Order: sequence, then structure tokens, then C-alpha cells
Amino acid sequence: MTDPLLRVENLKTQFFTDAGTVRAVDGISFEVREGEIVGLVGESGAGKSVASMSLLRLIEDPGEIVAGEITYKGETIFGLEEGPDGELREREDMLSNEEIRTQIRGNEIAVIFQDPMESLNPVFTIGGQLREFIELNRDLPKDAAKEEAIRMLREVGIPDPEQRYGEYPHQFSGGMRQRVLIAMALACEPSLIIADEPTTALDVTVEGQILELVDELQDKYDTSFLWVTHDMGVVAEICDRVNVMYLGEIVEQAPVDELFHDTKHPYTTALLNSMPRPDRTVGELEPIEGVMPEAINPPSGCRFHPRCPEAREVCQRVHPDAREVAHADGHPHRAACLKHDVFDAGYDESPPLETATQETAGVPAGGRSTGGPGGEDGATDLKDSVIEDGGEPTDGTRSDDRGETHE
Amino acid sequence: MAIGESQMDDGGPTEDVEAKFGWRHTLGKITDDTTARWGLYIVAFVLVISAYTMVDSNLSRLTFGVLSDFTFAEAIPIFDHPERIPPPGEGESHLPPAFHADGSMAHPLGTDPTGRDYFTRIVYGAQVSVSVGIASTLIGFVGGTIIGSVSGFYGGKVDDFLMRIVETVYAIPPLILIIVFTVFVSGGSPDITYAILGVGITFIPVFARIIRSEVLSIREMDYIEAARASGVKRRNIILRHVIPNSIAPVLVYATLQIGVTILLVAGLSFLGYGAQPPTPDWGEMLNVSHGYMHANVWLSIWPGLAILVTIMGFNLFGDGLQDALDPRLED
Amino acid sequence: MGLARYTLYRLLQAIPVLLGITIITFVLANLAPGDPVQLMLAGQEVDEELVEAIEQQYGLDRPLHERYVTYMAGVLEGDLGYSIHWGQPVTELILGRVGPTLLLVLSAYAFAIATAIPLGIIAATRRNEPTDHVSRIVALFGVSTPSFWIGIMLILLFAVQLGWLPSTGLVYPWRGPDAYAWIDTWPELLYQTARHLLLPMIALGTLQMATLMRVERTQMIESLHGEYVTLARAYGVPERTILRKHAFQNAQLPIITIIGLNLSTALSGAVLIEYVFNINGMGRLFIEAIQALDYQLIMGITIVFGTIFVVGVIVTDLSYAYIDPRVTYGEEE
Repeated sequence: MTDPLLRVENLKTQFFTDAGTVRAVDGISFEVREGEIVGLVGESGAGKSVASMSLLRLIEDPGEIVAGEITYKGETIFGLEEGPDGELREREDMLSNEEIRTQIRGNEIAVIFQDPMESLNPVFTIGGQLREFIELNRDLPKDAAKEEAIRMLREVGIPDPEQRYGEYPHQFSGGMRQRVLIAMALACEPSLIIADEPTTALDVTVEGQILELVDELQDKYDTSFLWVTHDMGVVAEICDRVNVMYLGEIVEQAPVDELFHDTKHPYTTALLNSMPRPDRTVGELEPIEGVMPEAINPPSGCRFHPRCPEAREVCQRVHPDAREVAHADGHPHRAACLKHDVFDAGYDESPPLETATQETAGVPAGGRSTGGPGGEDGATDLKDSVIEDGGEPTDGTRSDDRGETHE
Repeated sequence: MAIGESQMDDGGPTEDVEAKFGWRHTLGKITDDTTARWGLYIVAFVLVISAYTMVDSNLSRLTFGVLSDFTFAEAIPIFDHPERIPPPGEGESHLPPAFHADGSMAHPLGTDPTGRDYFTRIVYGAQVSVSVGIASTLIGFVGGTIIGSVSGFYGGKVDDFLMRIVETVYAIPPLILIIVFTVFVSGGSPDITYAILGVGITFIPVFARIIRSEVLSIREMDYIEAARASGVKRRNIILRHVIPNSIAPVLVYATLQIGVTILLVAGLSFLGYGAQPPTPDWGEMLNVSHGYMHANVWLSIWPGLAILVTIMGFNLFGDGLQDALDPRLED
Repeated sequence: MGLARYTLYRLLQAIPVLLGITIITFVLANLAPGDPVQLMLAGQEVDEELVEAIEQQYGLDRPLHERYVTYMAGVLEGDLGYSIHWGQPVTELILGRVGPTLLLVLSAYAFAIATAIPLGIIAATRRNEPTDHVSRIVALFGVSTPSFWIGIMLILLFAVQLGWLPSTGLVYPWRGPDAYAWIDTWPELLYQTARHLLLPMIALGTLQMATLMRVERTQMIESLHGEYVTLARAYGVPERTILRKHAFQNAQLPIITIIGLNLSTALSGAVLIEYVFNINGMGRLFIEAIQALDYQLIMGITIVFGTIFVVGVIVTDLSYAYIDPRVTYGEEE
């Protein structure tokens, strides 16, 4: 297999605050190949955005990338090595700040942010902002950059681009602004675009249009995407492969169909079950129990165990890394859950845990869900076990006999 | 900032969310913040001094009659009578401060042109500045709350009319308006009471605006709607729901406003339209010392420093209060 | 609404305020215990006939609203009444004194803006570093120190102790070098103007500087944390351009508003500073009028001060609207 466009290995980004060290990203590894749309999914606070900003080395004080390696097209965006004094130091071949700015940011890796309202500078015209970035990243003279800007505005479906070129962000609707940001990213002709929750701030119809647009333009320009989102629906619609993040770690990594149909991690299952779908009523939704703990003081063992319906005593002690548990379409399917045999941590013998789910009990309605989208073939044993967990909503149900997994 | 003194004790995140509100939390945040803590110390110090001197002069008046020539402070060696002018030949005038070669420890900050002890007068001056600052801020606060909440709650024509008045009063530079008010209303013989009134009234618009915008945002809240729908009288809604909920940010503003008020009253007294001689007031002292600027430099320095420190205290404290109450600055 | 129409709209909006200023002033001056003439002549041995004659001359024997209408009729023609104490029309007196005040206030603003903006930006970019702490302490002292006391201290240091700069009066460049026997050439005139202006300018400008610096710092910090700044960074825009263009432009808008609103503090301060530095501006004229209880002059000056403030706010509003594309020119107001 050819070298991936972007390879991230064991990346750790931490924030050093008064209250302690926040391990926002805690050793994640993934890659993005050419022409792929790779999803990075998780609840807010999981460290998705920090991870994506780390790729551009755009981590602001008090944050810092402390470990790992980021390679992009053979260039080292970040890399450490052990110096002669035993201290870690930046590697020789790591790009300097100036090189990152001129060679990577914009022209190689571009970004689209979540909030199109906030990402455009309110006091400059749309055209002016587009033109500035095009001039800078494609070395075009002013006139050519302006032409290119107008062409891109047309490309992303903004009507009357010559006229709208001179207008200000407040004169654009949210969806139109997001189109501008997409135009901005594509106009710089990068090989990779990081899209950080680009459709979250938009309403559903607009979201659909934008996703369609991206799909279409991605085919045309063959740009790779790293798609950061919390929305499994978006993932299903657009991604080729998916990384699921929980509390700074990647807990599951698989091609998208595989992830949906052969889910290997309880957190992913929970995410899928909490997703609204046309075939389910609101009452059938199963919100994930509890809140995600803070990354400043993560739970021992498996970080998901306090909220995990399948947690057992061993999960409190043993911290699982993401291991290959299956293989599909030439891609590994990795998951960080002790229940899989590859871990051999004694999960099966371990007694089940009383999880904290009763705190917010009453939310999950007792309806049965049929697992994956459309409820096709892929429903596994694992899913059944989750379904059994649906306690009675009225009385604060204590955790019941969820020990019965069907391994 | 500096590595926290006490907040590191038991690994923060377990902290109860509830604990982020309420007075204890606010005070805790203030004492955590070094600069705000100094503000608190200064304000407390000035308040204690003013309280003491206020009690002292009133007690003396009660005990010895209106024209008392004695204060209890005089029992302490470093204090003198703040107002009484020593008879000719007794006190030495224009004495430099004690650290100066010609100074004496009996008068740590020297004496004024009439031979009164400057230290005593500076200390007693706190009382005037602080009470004027607080009293006039209170007038502005109460007046502003009434006008602002009525204006914000009723809206429409009432709001339009009141806001036009507020805008108008706001348009006249405060010092000008206060002097005009003081001089005309007092019938040409200004004194500190009129100054307090004038300053207070002048600041009503500022408070009214803040309260109004608070009320406007609260008015739309569901619980107000609910109260209105269930037929609670408007006046009761304002008094029981709207005002209590909009008061916190205004209280912070009031703290900061005390500093501004003291500054303004100092200017007023400096021009001769605030406290009148022989009242020991810092602005009034600067007014007197202005005539002796070349002869005795010290007379101009001490009252200014006293004003500076006091206002700085209120500003630091107010800033700290603002930071502590502003949830956006959490984390 | 275009900028021209917005200007007109703002001017129309100012009319009730200006009217309100005259009403407040008029009411204050006329509802005072004892009528103005008696106040003026207080303590003097006067015969009743003279008082009555004066009262009649000024129409003081007529009802208040009638007097107000007469007064306003004059004001609209630019006639602010007659100063009994100076024996001159009020308008004339004020026109002769307005120049120094404007010179003082504008130069104080120039000083404040020229120092506050760079200092605020430096503080924002070096947040929590020593530079930031120093500038914050300077700002704290600035907002806590009475301007007139700063003036006194500056005089004591630079005029009395060091003898470098004059402590009183101003030299007015618009009078030309011929008006001053001791000045021969234009450059010399401007030099003297600057020398005389320096201390009062600093004394009056310090508070403004401190306020603006605080706002500038907060705004720059906020602006530098804006998502549009992160976006610019992510597209490889150099840090200098980000600071000078992307963050700066946004941070300046609130500054403009503050400058307009602070005009009332600045004008109040001008009264004190003119008093301390013996500058023959409107502020000193006001104090003299108050001392003489010359009520028509007091009214006139108050109205002019209020008008300067209103005009100042309109000017800043307009420049805000000119700079910020988002301003919808107050349609919904």
C-alpha cells in the first residue's frame, strides 16, 4: 500500500492549567490516505478539535504537543527524538514554524471551522478575505487571485458571485458563509482539508446541501478530508473510514460500513443508539448515560467504564489500547475494549460493575432498538447486550443483570 | 498567574458546580486574586478609618456639645483636632513632614498654613470622601434602579420619555451639571450635602441605563411571562422578580462607581463647591494648598496620594468583583 | 439607509437632547431659591427699584414658560443672552474662549490615543508577561488619580523644580506670531504652543489614556482569540499581518465609541485643568461665571458644553458607521 497522505502516531497534546494538566489528546494514531474522507467522531470535549488543530501545530498557550509524530507527505510536521542528554527534543527534520506557515498551512492543509458566523472577519469583505488567502497560498497576483476567488464562489454555488464578492459576512446567511469557507479551503488547492464540525451550526436542510456539495467537490478535486464531527449521521453520509474518540483516545477505528454494522466498542454502540433516525421515535432514542468526565483527571482503567453498560471489574484496572479485532476491506478494525479476546485480560471471568448510569436513569426509554442503520444483518451479540440494558424509565432502575454478554 | 496558594488542595475537578455561585464563592475568588485582595484590604482599611473618625467626631459632639473643641482621637498622641485652628503662637504652620530635617514626630505629615496637624486632617478626610462616595452612589443607584426598571419593564412611551431625560442629563458633562445644580439649588452657598445630591442625581442616568438593559433581557424570560400570565400585578413583578434578578451586575458597577464619585467630589471640593472649610476633606485640602504650591510642596502631595490610594482600592476591589461574578471568566 | 441619510437621522435625533439640555439648565437656573438677580447682588446694599428695573429688563417678572420661549428664540438665533457681570453678550464671551478648550481636549485625546493603542496592543500580545503587568499598573494609576492633582504634580516637578516647562497659560497658534511680542516666527510660535500645551495635555489625557488602554487590551485579547484570527493563522497569514490587520481592525470599533462617550469626562476634566494651569478657556470662564453667579453666562456655557458632547458623540457614531460594515444605520431604532 502506498504511503498515506497524513500519518499520526501516538499524538499527545496537553494543556497545562492552574488546575492541573489536561490530557486533551492522549496518544492517538490514525492516517488519512489520498482521496479519502476520514471521520473523527466523539462527544464535545473528546479532544477532536484539539487533535485536528495539532495537525497544523495551531495549539495555543497553555497547550502543547508533548509526544507523538505527525508526518505529512513525508515531511515531519511534528516529531521528537531523544537528545544526547536524554531529554526529548524536536527532531532535526521537523518543519520550523515559518515552514509550517508557508508550506503547510492553507496550501497543503486547509481548514473549515464549525461556526461560519465567527470564522469570517466581520469588517472585511468576503472577497477580500478569499483573495488574501488565495494570494498568499497560491502566489497569485491580485487580479488573478480575485478572478480565482469569484470562480470558487461560483463553484460552491453562490449566486451572482461578482456582486457578492464585495459584500460583508453579515450580508450572508449561515449556509452561504459555510459555502464561502469551503470555497476558501478549496481555492488554496490543498491536498487535505480539515473540516471541524462544519455543519453543526447549520440547520438540517442546509446541512444536507453542504454535505452534497462537499461530496461533489471532493470527487472533482480529489481532496482528502479529515471530518471532525459528533454526528454519526453525517459520518454515515460522507466518511470512508471513521475514528471514534473518547476522552482523548481513539476507541474504535474502522471503515464506515464496518463500524456501523459490526460495532466493536460499547461507546460507539452508545453513540449509534443515541442518534436520531427516521425509523425510530424520540422515545426510542438512548442517550448515553452520564457525562463525559474531564480530561484533567480521567477514570482509571478503561476511560469509558463509568458509563459503560458492559463494564466489568477488570475495566477499572486495565487500560486497553486500540487493537486490531477484525479486518475488513483491507483495513484493520481496531477497538479498545477488553471484552475482545485479543486483550486476554480476564474480562469474561470478571464480575460486572454497578455503573453510574442510575444517576440519569429514566432517560432511556425501554424500547428495543434494532442496532445498525436500517437494522440490517450486522446486529451483533454486542448490541443485544446493550438493548437488554434499557431499564424502566419511571423508577430509578439500578443496573440490572447486564453481566450476561454473549461472547 | 502565580501557582495557586490554596486552590490546588484536592485536585479541582471534584469541585461542586453549585459552589461556583453565591457570596462565599465570590469572596473566595477575590481573596484568591492577589490584586483584588489588595483592593479589599485598602477598602476595608479606609472604611475602618472613616467609621472610627465618624464615630469619634459625632461622639465628641454629643458629649461636649456642637462646638466641641475636643475629639477622642486627641487622646492618642499622633492625633490632633482635625478642624480647630491653634491660637496664634501655639502651633507652627507649614511644618514639613517628620522625615524632613525640620520636621517633628508630633506632626508626621507636617502642619498646614494655619498650623493644624496634617496627618489628622488626612485621616479624618477619609470619612468625608468615603461617605460622600457611598452616599451619592447610593442615590444614583436607587434612583437609577427605579427609573431603569420602570423604563425597561413598561417600555413604549414611558421608556422613550424616561430615556430621553436620561440621555439629556448624560449629555451635560458631570462636573458642570453638578456645579450648576449645587450653586443654584443651594442659593449660592454650596456645601457638601448639595454636592452629594448633585453627584447622586447626575449618576442616575448611568445606573438607569444598566438596569434598563438588564430588565429588558429579564423581561423576556419565561418566569416573568408566567407571572404575568397568572395575573400578578405589574408592580409586584417589578419588585419581586425583575429588580432582584438584575441587581448583581449593577452592584459591581456601583463599586466601581464609588471610585469615580470620589474622584469627582475631589474635583468639586478642589474648585470650592464641595466640602467647605474647615471640614477636613482631601479635595478641599488641595484647594487650600493650591495657594501654597510653591511655598509648601508637601501640602499638595499628601491629599492627592490619599485620594489615589482610596480610589485604587475601590477600583481593584470592583475589578475583582467583576471578574469573580463574570461566569465567562471561569476556567 | 445611506451614510448621508444616517447623518441626517442622527442630527434629528439630537434635537430633543439639545432641547432637553436647555430645559434642564433653564429650570435649574430659574427655580433656584431666590431669583438670579437677588443672588447676584447678594450681600450688597441694593435699592428695590434697581432690582425691579433689572428684573424687568431681563423679563424676570414674567412667567417661567414665557421666559423660556423668549430665551429659546434668542438661542436659535445664536444669542445666548447677556452677561451682567462682563457687560457683554454671552455668545461673544464663549466664542472667545472655546478655542483653548477645544485645543486642550483634542490634544489630550491625541496624546491618549497615541499612547493607549500601542500600549494596549503590546499588553494584549504579551499577556501576563512583565510588559503587560507594567501597562496594567499604569492604567490602574491612570484611572485612580485625579487629573487636577496630576496637573499640580507636573507643575511642581517640571515647572517649579526643574524649570523646564511653563506652568500657566497657553499660546494659541491661530493668533499668529504677531500677537505675541516675544515670538517672531511661525516655527517658534508652534514650539511655544507645544511647550505650553505639554503639561496640561498629559494631565487631562492620562485618564483617557488609561481607560482607552484597558479597553484596547481587552478588545485585542478578545479579537486575537476570535475564530477569524485562528482561521487566518490556519491559512498561513503571517503573525504581523494578523496583528495589524485581522485583529486590530476589529478591536478599534469599541475604542471609537468609548472616545465619544468619554468626552463628557474629558470636558469635566478640562474645567479643572484650565483652572490649575490658568488657561483662559471655557472651563475657567465657567468657574468665573459661577463665582459671579452670572446666570445667563452659566446657562450659555452649560448649553455649549452639552452641545459639544452631543456633536462629539454624533461624530464618533458616524465614523463608527463608516468603518464598521455591520452598522445598519440605526433603522430599527
